[in-house]
Formats: sequence, C-alpha cells, structure tokens
Amino acid sequence: MKDKLANTLDWLKGKSVDYADCRYVRKETESIRVTDGTVDTLNREVNVGVGIRVLYDGAWGFAAIASTKEGDIKKTANKALQIARASATTKKVAVKLAEQEAFKDHYKSKFTKDPFAVPLDEKMGLLLEICDKLKTDDRIKTASGSMDFFKYNKIFCSTEGAVIEQDLLESGGGYEAISYDGNDVQKRSYPNSHRGDFATRGYEFIESLKLLDHVDRVREEAIQLLTAESCPDTIKDIIICGSQMALQVHESCGHPSELDRVLGTEISLAGGSFMQIDGLNKLKYGSDIVNIYADATVEGGLGTFGYDDEGVKAQRAPIIKNGLHVGYQTSRETAPVIGQRSNGTMRADGWNRIPLIRMTNINLEPGTWELKDLIADTDDGIFFDANKSWSIDDQRLNFQFGVECAWEIKKGKLGKMYKNPLYTAMTPKFWNACDAICNKNHWHVWGVPNCGKGEPMQTAHVAHGTSPARFRKIKVGVSK
Amino acid sequence: MIGKDKIFSTFEKVAASSKADETEIVFIGNDTGLTRYANSTIHQNVHENNATILFRAVRGKKIGVASTNSLALNDLKATLKNAIEISKYQKDNKHFPGLPGPENYAKIDTYFESTAGFRPNDRARLVKKMFYRSNRRKFTMAGAFATGEGEIAVFNTNGVRCYQQVTGSSLNVIAMSDSSSGYASGMSRDVNNIDPVALADIAVEKAYKAKKPKPLKEGEYEVILEPAAVAEAMEWTNYIAFGSKTFEEKTSFVAHNLGKKIMDESITIYDDGNDLSGIAIPFDFEGVPKKKVVFVDKGVPKGVVYDRISANRMGTKSTGHALPAINSGEGAVALNLFMAPGNKTREEMLKSMDRGILVTRFHYINGFIDTPKAVLTGMTRDGTFWVENGEIKHGIKNLRFTDSIIRAFSNVKGISKDVKLIPSWWDAVGCLAVPAIHLGSFKFTGTTDF
Repeated sequence: MKDKLANTLDWLKGKSVDYADCRYVRKETESIRVTDGTVDTLNREVNVGVGIRVLYDGAWGFAAIASTKEGDIKKTANKALQIARASATTKKVAVKLAEQEAFKDHYKSKFTKDPFAVPLDEKMGLLLEICDKLKTDDRIKTASGSMDFFKYNKIFCSTEGAVIEQDLLESGGGYEAISYDGNDVQKRSYPNSHRGDFATRGYEFIESLKLLDHVDRVREEAIQLLTAESCPDTIKDIIICGSQMALQVHESCGHPSELDRVLGTEISLAGGSFMQIDGLNKLKYGSDIVNIYADATVEGGLGTFGYDDEGVKAQRAPIIKNGLHVGYQTSRETAPVIGQRSNGTMRADGWNRIPLIRMTNINLEPGTWELKDLIADTDDGIFFDANKSWSIDDQRLNFQFGVECAWEIKKGKLGKMYKNPLYTAMTPKFWNACDAICNKNHWHVWGVPNCGKGEPMQTAHVAHGTSPARFRKIKVGVSK
Repeated sequence: MIGKDKIFSTFEKVAASSKADETEIVFIGNDTGLTRYANSTIHQNVHENNATILFRAVRGKKIGVASTNSLALNDLKATLKNAIEISKYQKDNKHFPGLPGPENYAKIDTYFESTAGFRPNDRARLVKKMFYRSNRRKFTMAGAFATGEGEIAVFNTNGVRCYQQVTGSSLNVIAMSDSSSGYASGMSRDVNNIDPVALADIAVEKAYKAKKPKPLKEGEYEVILEPAAVAEAMEWTNYIAFGSKTFEEKTSFVAHNLGKKIMDESITIYDDGNDLSGIAIPFDFEGVPKKKVVFVDKGVPKGVVYDRISANRMGTKSTGHALPAINSGEGAVALNLFMAPGNKTREEMLKSMDRGILVTRFHYINGFIDTPKAVLTGMTRDGTFWVENGEIKHGIKNLRFTDSIIRAFSNVKGISKDVKLIPSWWDAVGCLAVPAIHLGSFKFTGTTDF
C-alpha cells in the first residue's frame, strides 16, 4: 500500500502541485447492543479506502475512493487536482503550510486484550446479565447496554516525504435504565450517559469499568428519580461531577479553542468562537485555578494517537494557564496565523473525509480538593451528576446543560435528590466562578465518541481528563 | 453508478452460497461532492465515492449483521460468512417475524441528470456569483453547496428486489456583517431548483436588517418561527417522539397522549416517503413500502412509525420506516417529515403581530431535558428581529429558549401556506417540509452577547 501511495504522490509531483498527501485507512468496528434481554445489534463492519488531499495554486482539493487499486487511487488523485483548480477560482490568499518534519514511523496504541478476540458470548453474556439485573423491578421500563470496539490501520504519506503507519485500538461500553411509573419517565446510566465510557485501550478497559458492581445503584436511583422533586429555579453554588465536567470542557473550551472555528471556517454549521485571536494572552477565561491542556499523549485517552492526519507528532499544548487564554488547537494551515507551528490536532473520521482541527484529550488539570471535603465545605448548593442534555450558542458563550440526577447540598452534606436538573451560564463568567477543583484521586479521562463537526458531518473520538469542580452562584433549574 | 442489473446479479451470486435460512443484502452507494466556503472563499472542496453493503443473515430467530464497503466478490462472500458466523452467537429475537417478501412499490422518479452531471467547477461558478452579492454590502459569506448521486438497493432471498437511483443537492448560506448575520437554504433532488443567487440575496438582506442588534430581556414573547427554525424544532421532536423506540420506552409524549387533543387543531404532522415534494424514496431498508404515517392530526397524537421487529413487538404492521440493519437498535425512524401548511402568507403573519420576535433559525437545540413534556432548548441565530405593529423594527441579540413544544404548539395564531424543504441537520438522508408558524407564546430563558 505504501508503494501505491508513493507512486500516486510522485504522479502528483509531476503535475506541479504545491503539496499533497494520501491517507489509507482500514477501520474495523464491532458493535453490540442489548435491550431488555434481546441482542438488538450485533454487527461487524470493515471499511477501507484512500483519501487524497491536493494543494494546487494555493487552494485545496480532496477526493476519496473505496478502493485500494493503484489505478483507482491515481484517478482519484486527478479528481482531487481538478477540484483544487476549481477552488483556486475563488482564492483570495494562497494557503501556506507551517513547516513540518517529515516523519517515518510506525505507532501502535497499547493494549493487553484484543476485544475482537474476546468471544462474542462473553461480551453479550455480560450485557445480558446487566440488563436482567436492572429489570428486577417492574418500574424499570427499559434496560439496555452496549459495547463498541474500533480497530484502525492508517498509512499517511506526503509529498514532503512523510511515511507514517498507525495501529489504533479503542474500546467502550456502558448501560442505562429507564424507569416509568405510569406517570413520569426517568433515566440513570453507568459509567456515563450516551453509550458509556471509551478509551484507546483493549478489552481490559471494559473489565476495569466493573460494570456489574454499579447495577443495583443505577436501578435504585432511576426508580428514586420518579418521585424526586424537580430542581428549583434559583441561584446556587454547584458542584459538577467528573463526567459532566468532561462535557462542560468539551463545549465551552474544547470547541471554542479550535483555531479553524476561530478563523470562521466552521461558522455555517456549528458556529464560531468568542476566543478570538486579539484575546490571546489577554482574555481572563477562568479563575486562577483553571488550567486546560490539549494533550494527545495521555496514555489510553480516546483522543490519544501517535501522529495527526497531517503527519504532525502528538503533543501537549496549553490552552488555559492560571485562567488566562494562552493557546489554541492548531493545524499546519492555521498555526502560521498566530506565528506558530501546528500542535497536531488535524484528524479525519475516515479515509473519505478531510482532516479538520479536532479535539484530542482536552484536559482540565486536577486541583487540590478531596470530593468529600469539597461537599463538606459547601453550605447551600447542588451536586450535578451525569449529562442528559447540552446546548450552547454559536459563539460558545451561553450554555445550558441538563443532567440525569442532582442532590441538594445543605450545610456540607448531600440531601434530597432532584430530577430534571439544569444549569446555565455564560462561559467566561462561569469559569471565573470556579473556586475549587478536586485532586488527581478523582481525575479521569472520559472518552467522548460522538463529537460532530464539519460538512459533510464527521464524528471524532475525543476525550477529557476532568475531576469534580465547584462553581459559585450559578443559575439552576430553568426547565419550567 | 453501478446499476440495478449488476448489483442484483452480483448479490444473486453471493446469496447462492449462503448457508443462512434467509439472507438480506442492502446496498447504499454514493458519488457526492461538497464545496464549502467561508470568508467568501472556498476553503474545503471534497468528493467521495463510497458504498456500504450490509448483510443480514438469519438462522431461525437469530440475526447476524456484517458490512463492508468493497464490492469485490471475495469481500462480499467473506462478509456474508462473517454475518452467518455472528448469527451463530446470537440469542433468539422472539419478535423477529422473518424477512419480508416482495410488495408493490410506488414508481417515482428521484434521479435528475442535471444534478448527477454537476461538477466542482459548476459549484464554484455559482458560489462566486453569491460572493458578488455579499460584496456589494461589504459582507462576507459562508456555507456549503453539495451535489451528488446515489443508489439504494434491497435484496433478499424471499424475492425482494428494490432499487432506486437518486440525486440530491443542497445549499446553505450565511451572510455576515461586522455585527450581524443572515441565513438562507435550499434543497432539491434537481439542482436546477436551487437558485444560489436568490438565496444569497435573502441572507444578505437579513444580515443587513439585523445590523447593530439590540438586547432584549428573557421572557415570554409572541413569535414567528420561519421554516428553518420550525424544521430544527421538528427534527428534535421527531427524534424524541415519533420513532418506535421512544414510543415503546414511554419517553415519547405521543405514548402518553394518544387520542388526546394537546396542541392547536391547526397542527398536523406526518411522514410521507412517497411525496415528491420531499426527498422521497418508496421503500425502507428492509424492502417494505413506505406508508404515510400521521403523528399529530389536528392537534391529537395518533401514532409513530415502525419497522418489522418493533411492529411485531407492538402487535401492528411495519410502516416502512426501518433503518439499515446496522442501526436496528434505534428502531424505526421517520425520514420524510411534513407539517401541514396553513392559509397565511409570511407578510400577513407579520402584519398581525403587535409585539414579538421573528426567528430565522435555531442553533444547537437539545430535547433530552424532559421528553414526555417535549421540552426543547436552543439558541436563535442568523437573523432574530423585534417586530412591532406588524413591522420588523430592528435586529435583536440572540436568545435562548426553553419551552415545551406541546405548550408552544397549543397557542397557534397562524401557519404559512408556503412550505419549505429543509435538510436534516444530522442525517444526510433526512428532510423536513415545513411552513412558518406564528405562536402566541414562546419562552425565552436566557440571553447572549451578540
């Protein structure tokens, strides 16, 4: 395959392209989903193809084909070249790429147990057992669980001489219980909502989740929610759990610090960003204890890899330091705008899509608090747990999140449960109200396998290292 | 395009070796291009040739699913073998009624040479014309222009042979000033039905009128939702309420209100996969003919869509809304949503509004807050206006709404007679045909800075 890609790039060089790269991707997927004792999804998918990106006369063209035949790849390269010529007709400024070392390497993600080699019986059996145990109370209307596994072989070659092969393996899973009492409907999940938790690891990650250990709690909390009070409409100090903090970081820091979005190239779909370039090193994004890094090197993170899809080596880059906005996620095309080289965040969700700036592992650094001490230190607040809904404006300022479940905090102790809890704020005001972050004992890298961006739509696998944190005087409970 | 004969002859050869009791093969092929622009220049311009071939191997009540994107005979046979192997590990699905047999399908024309022959140069030429329209106001433009062709085929060993060749085109555009933006979009199977310059003019005019927006306090206001805003709200309502899965789980408001009048009698919402004013296709991914399904009839919830498994479980018949087998866990989904038109023009609705808000579109709606009450939240964007005494007075800064769509649709002051086709935000195969709607009360719960 490397020879076919190299021959194609040689052909493109003969056409005087400014730059070109070819990406071969073979993606193998296994998905299992069990609902109420029935395995309603059990499938395996293999997807193979080549995508070719051509920069000609300062403008981009991209074409992709579901074939690995050299003749097909060259025809597709020619199509990419023709598309670049069409793009050049509207060019204002020629695209210039930041300098980049042409790596030759083979990166493999670490794992100890290949999930594709684990018998289907074992994986289905675990999910069926979970569903059976969730449904031991008639008020659990639906119990479902799922596992998803992804295996990638990727080869990246460029006209600059890069030849990079990567083998990546990802695993994830989780379950949820939907309760119903003839009146209300509620939901509880583990280890996280929206298909669970994910990592760039093998089946040992599924085993580490200890899925069965949490079934009784999930069932009972789902039932308890049916008769819980609605979250009050008020202003409260709030403590947000780690998994919801992951989505908080995702929407209010991850997306707005993508430099392509800042430069306006995503505006028509998912919007722009309030984190403009004139605020770099000036914008007080959060309080002094807020430190956020884009770190593609964290072991096992769902946003961990060896090289991005432009051949830039994975790295750790600061976004927020002591509350100050100090950096962006960048690409070879965008980094020169702020006088930098790429920090390696360009990824495509397959051979058939162009790379875009995508979050890696966008991590909120741990603070100093034990969670029990933080709760004890809170006189009148609410603890928010596990995401249910999310929404943010197209500049990433006004957000509103709903969670599955919340608890009152009174005089340092958890009290009654609340259902349908929401909180809402403006991003910088919110992060500047952060006065406590839990320590590394509570810090976990949460995998998010469904991050959407771009047209045609691309779904990225990203992650966020977070621990629970406290925010002062936040508007809550606005669902009525 | 591969063609009906070659696809089915290949599948006959592959299925001949199948050791399953029943075998289904679904082909979804596409050859599509998309030109994306921002800051009034093309920054992404892509083409894709791809196919997905899905196998469903059935042994008794056990189902195995495997897929590939290679049409090579050896790869197809290997994928079938994989599906059969998976089925051996499966548990019985007692609700599976078996694969369907052939039925009569509506014969509709969904392929236009004009769209299939549209090239990157054609898209670039029209996009440049749009840029000229925004340059006159010193505005910039952003958006996407997509054209393509595809084939969908459903084959099974019970004799189903469904085939449809399709084309599609869509364009969205945002015009941006230094303090405002305006939006317009178009969608059709025939690219000649899309007028990029006219859409550019609508977006520019909206951005111009919305310049220097003024803040407005949160609260309850009368609103006119233009079709793009209605479509975004309906898309989420569809997702949380009109599919078989949410109905069975009781998370859908339809499940709690069948036969009860909960919305204004002017509200009728339905799915019709054979209506050529939408993005029609006459069969689903199991090869079952699409039936018209009414979700809300004159304000009264009536039912949801089904595939064969969910229908059997609920003691009814499939409505022809199965997804590809790889997504079967999601249940049946409506992909051709319609809202019945009213009898007013947009101008008549505006004139009848004393004080209120005109919303062009919404952003980032989410409907998981309280699904039995169909509570949605989201932001306005790209043209939000204050209306007084029947006239647009000025642009306003964007607002967050949080409201029950049931409550909002129970106080309807008017519905437009014109219906607009809007592409689905998250699904390339879905569409919504909806009017503008004038609501007596809509709850805005937050503000933002722009």
